[in-house]
Amino acid sequence: MAGAQLHPGAWWLWSLALGTAATRTTNPLLLTLLIATSAYVVATCRPDSPWARSYTAFVKLALAVLLIRLVFAVVLGSPIPGTHVIVALPELPLPHWAQGIRLGGKVTVETLLFALYDGLRLATLLICVGAANSLANPARLLKSLPGALYEMGVAVVVALTYAPHLIADVQRLRAARRLRGRPDTGIRGLLHIGLPVLEGALERSVALAAAMDARGYGRSADVPARVRRTTTALTLGGLLGVCAGTYGLLTAEGGTYGLPVLLAGLAAALAGLRLGGRRSLRTRYRPDRWDARAWLVAGSGAAVAALLALAATRDPAALHPGVVPLVAPTLPLWPAAAVLLGLLPAFISPAPQNPVPRHPALKEPS
Amino acid sequence: MIRFENVSVTYDGAAEPTVQGVDFEVPEGELVLLVGPSGVGKSTVLGAVSGLVPHFTGGTLRGRVTVAGRDTRTHKPRELADVVGTVGQDPLSHFVTDTVEDELAYGMESLGLAPDVMRRRVEETLDLLGLADLRDRSIATLSGGQQQRVAIGSVLTPHPRALVLDEPTSALDPAAAEEVLAVLQRLVHDLGTTVLLAEHRLERVVQYADQVVLLPSPGAAPVLGTPADVMAVSPVYPPVVDLGRLAGWSPLPLTVRDARRRAADLREQLGQRDCIALQGRGAVVDVRLPPRGRDQPRRTRSRQQTTPPELLGENPTPRRWFKRRRTPTQPTSPYAAEVKALAVTRGRVQALRHVDLAIPLGETVAVMGRNGAGKSTLLNTLVGLVKPSAGSVTLGGAVGLVPQEPRDLLYTDTVADECTAADTDASAAPGTCRALVSELLPDIPDDTHPRDLSEGQRLTLALAVVLTARPTLLLLDEPTRGLDYAAKARLLTLLRGLAAEGHSIVLATHDVELVAELAHRVVLLADGEVIADGPAADVVVASPSFAPQVAKILAPQKWLTVAEVREALA
Amino acid sequence: MTGNATRQARAVRLGPRSIAALVLVSAVGGAALGWPFLAPPTSQVSAHAQDAPWLFTGLLLLLVAVVAATISESGLGPKAVAMLGVLAATGAALRPLGAGTAGIEPMFFLMVLSGRVLGPGFGFALGAVTMFASALLTGGVGPWMPFQMLSMGWFTMGAGLLPGPDRLRGRGELVLLAGYGFLAAFAYGTVMNMQGWPYLDPDGSPIAPDPQAGPLANLARFVAYCLATSLGWDLGRAVVTVVLTVTLGPAILKALRRATRRAAFESPVTFDAPTE
Repeated sequence: MAGAQLHPGAWWLWSLALGTAATRTTNPLLLTLLIATSAYVVATCRPDSPWARSYTAFVKLALAVLLIRLVFAVVLGSPIPGTHVIVALPELPLPHWAQGIRLGGKVTVETLLFALYDGLRLATLLICVGAANSLANPARLLKSLPGALYEMGVAVVVALTYAPHLIADVQRLRAARRLRGRPDTGIRGLLHIGLPVLEGALERSVALAAAMDARGYGRSADVPARVRRTTTALTLGGLLGVCAGTYGLLTAEGGTYGLPVLLAGLAAALAGLRLGGRRSLRTRYRPDRWDARAWLVAGSGAAVAALLALAATRDPAALHPGVVPLVAPTLPLWPAAAVLLGLLPAFISPAPQNPVPRHPALKEPS
Repeated sequence: MIRFENVSVTYDGAAEPTVQGVDFEVPEGELVLLVGPSGVGKSTVLGAVSGLVPHFTGGTLRGRVTVAGRDTRTHKPRELADVVGTVGQDPLSHFVTDTVEDELAYGMESLGLAPDVMRRRVEETLDLLGLADLRDRSIATLSGGQQQRVAIGSVLTPHPRALVLDEPTSALDPAAAEEVLAVLQRLVHDLGTTVLLAEHRLERVVQYADQVVLLPSPGAAPVLGTPADVMAVSPVYPPVVDLGRLAGWSPLPLTVRDARRRAADLREQLGQRDCIALQGRGAVVDVRLPPRGRDQPRRTRSRQQTTPPELLGENPTPRRWFKRRRTPTQPTSPYAAEVKALAVTRGRVQALRHVDLAIPLGETVAVMGRNGAGKSTLLNTLVGLVKPSAGSVTLGGAVGLVPQEPRDLLYTDTVADECTAADTDASAAPGTCRALVSELLPDIPDDTHPRDLSEGQRLTLALAVVLTARPTLLLLDEPTRGLDYAAKARLLTLLRGLAAEGHSIVLATHDVELVAELAHRVVLLADGEVIADGPAADVVVASPSFAPQVAKILAPQKWLTVAEVREALA
Repeated sequence: MTGNATRQARAVRLGPRSIAALVLVSAVGGAALGWPFLAPPTSQVSAHAQDAPWLFTGLLLLLVAVVAATISESGLGPKAVAMLGVLAATGAALRPLGAGTAGIEPMFFLMVLSGRVLGPGFGFALGAVTMFASALLTGGVGPWMPFQMLSMGWFTMGAGLLPGPDRLRGRGELVLLAGYGFLAAFAYGTVMNMQGWPYLDPDGSPIAPDPQAGPLANLARFVAYCLATSLGWDLGRAVVTVVLTVTLGPAILKALRRATRRAAFESPVTFDAPTE
């Protein structure tokens, strides 16, 4: 039931907060604990839906990132001054313009360990984002888009609705192509399957547009000219502010005004976005409520992030174990306890809903 | 409620108006049926009600259309959305969202109704249309009838005072059409909704109409009247009307019930004749082929190119099977196909179980049954797209399948290219396919885009493409879906001709009238099993859901079509 | 009729406000991508090089939303929205087909051709919506998404801005589109590399952006990064885009133009008084 689901925004905040917490530390034990936390919550709370599988995809991506980092460290070396040499690869001479990049050379434990810690931090972050992808229902997330984005939102809803239909079309056309005794792959197959799919899709889009028009799409409220002008001024003024602020951040002199101007500009642009929503008449059917549970889920994530940030300033040594000289990382007690706060959603969020086949075409070919 | 005042519509770039002199009114609370042959502008008339013509399509509208007092000149479609609901033929291109409940709410969201009102109306509509169990389902997983009901529900939630439906049941099987029509009946009778409906499956709807508007030919002014009066002059009519005209009944009966009451004399009269419907229906060669079918030019082709039977089950890549089976050897089997103990499992579903079936050369077999009974699977197994999980399929020659969506088979952008490709695919002599097309569709220019053809023409082109490979066994999946009476009549002639030439034909269909006209034998499938297999007249007359209108009227005598009756009376 | 039929459609019209917003956001986008080259060591971003990519990702997400809202406001009719949604879905649906045939990514060339036929405004919206929808469909929402939306928007819009949209047809058009497709597909890959590059820690890798080094040194490091990570991939994608444009381009362009004509984006609507 839609009403019993947690607000998708809460999942995103929780996941992003865990991700932020991950950026505060390079301690592999803490990072592993963060991954375990997210994995446990995903395992308990994820619905039986196609997008729920994306967690695994993100874990694979994170592993790939980690692996690439290690390969870089081996092949390209690193500025880390290491003493424990594992193996010395032959070094390839590179021309002068390569600006100090080298290929091959000594591979040290320190180099590898540094690459591992740093890669693990990014990997943890990716895995946390993957948790959000698999826990939050994208269709319901779209319902929370602001009114000013209504038209674009409808385009995305249409895309999400039609993609499974089109995948089914692809499968049907492949079968039809086999009926004519032709291969259904390769570049000609692409044309002979892709073109009819495209043509059918375009024809459908005209029929869909007619249906949408007849069902009241695009009715808009009368917005007074004053409000329209204010919207424009806020949006464009805000964007100018963001540009100026960004410029400030990028230059040596702009250090003082950069961030404040950027934030002010952003606030103005977002106010313009909100005001622009006035023209939309649309109301929402059964919107997800931001209830107490949503507060708790988002709050538990925020607490992890805040406590780790605090710990990073109080006790940087524990959260960033050194590699030169080599020391074994230890698990700091209080930050570890803080990370475990992130498990809260596993106990308060509703049980996974009944499996509802949303995208049959994605699951089984017919 | 809906008023047309001397309306004519000219599309951009067209020389002549598509419709003209349209002047009628649909009173509040009535169900008015719009009928006419294909291409007379029924969709244009319907589109003008919701304002889509001309606001969406472009073009010039002369005259005036008002709906509940709102003039479409000054109101765009979106501003009429709360008084008119529009539903088209293909529900899938009507849906914006992907679940039933969201779809019902979508229109109200656009109109800005309050959340509590939306909630109440969604629940009411779910109950009204019997969709409560499906509320969380993905629309793509619903059956055609359920989808069409959701489409109707989605335009009902804003509480429109009029509904406009363009062929809502044409693409549906009889049971699904019943579901949809029951809903419409309920809306008209219980809620006083005004309904304007175009439909060419007249046998399904004509009895529900309060009035009928007939567009007799392109550009001609419409004729308005009671259903019985209009049917007396209409160029399109259901079998019951055909029989009524033949028997000279007046006023014309529109339902089987009315016709049965009048038919006592006719039954007696026919009973005295030699009831030929009792004999020979199951014979391989139909002795009662109407003269039209016989007069088809016979193409001289060597159709006895049979090859040793081949087990498709042992052949994991069924591509290019046209060619492989081309090596001529001595004929071995009197059957075009022989199916023994066939079982097919798809996923966890047992689609077919222990099916035994033999299709003699030259016989036309109709496979009937509910949706999901395994009809399409059987055809796909015969053609080799689906691998049997047990049992065997033995073929006596090449097989060709025209799929449910004939346009799937066509992928080039002109008719000529399509023919060339078909010749290459089937390794037939160049020009074979084009000759077939010229014979079947005499006036189609070479450079026509297959997507610009009408449904019937497209089906014929796909059929020609399949015939290029000279299949001994021709399979057709739901060939009459979306065809009007004229296109169906042409298809009938065509298939009779092919059968007379010795093709074996297997039709998977819901269309009982087609079966009555064409099939020698009927196989009923249920749950993947054959539950009846016998001469068409025997199987069909015995079944309440598969009996054609004429059989129902003249039961217990076994007459299936008006043509048979006409011949018997002559 | 025929004169109109071959003109480039303007399915989405960009007003002066949308253009201004687009230019400003593109400028910020440029900075968000190019800061490792642009910022001197003493600047704020260089001081917080670890957090800067996250800041820019969040910023860009909001800014893309602002641009989308201004484009929405200046008029996305039902025809444009439906076509936008359906084309974006086609892009996503063709992905699995491509995966079966040796990593062909048909989406890029579809974007080039759509931008060409449907105009720059529609092109930008299409690029952004396609990337967003595809991320939602595959559960691939990540820090790269705002950058993907923006750069795919640029990519498709660029195709709409190519010269001779109403006149150039036939072989010349194909060569133009193929050339653009090559460069743009390659540029897209490079832009995505620029997005991922700052996540490397300069303390740990010689090919990471180094705030202390000059622009030239950083450029060399970036080139090394591209060579090491994705050159083969990007080159392959660019070549595939060219091959697909040349072989399938004519058919797809024809289909798109046919559909655009059918949709009658700009066909006149008139009412006449009843003739009595």
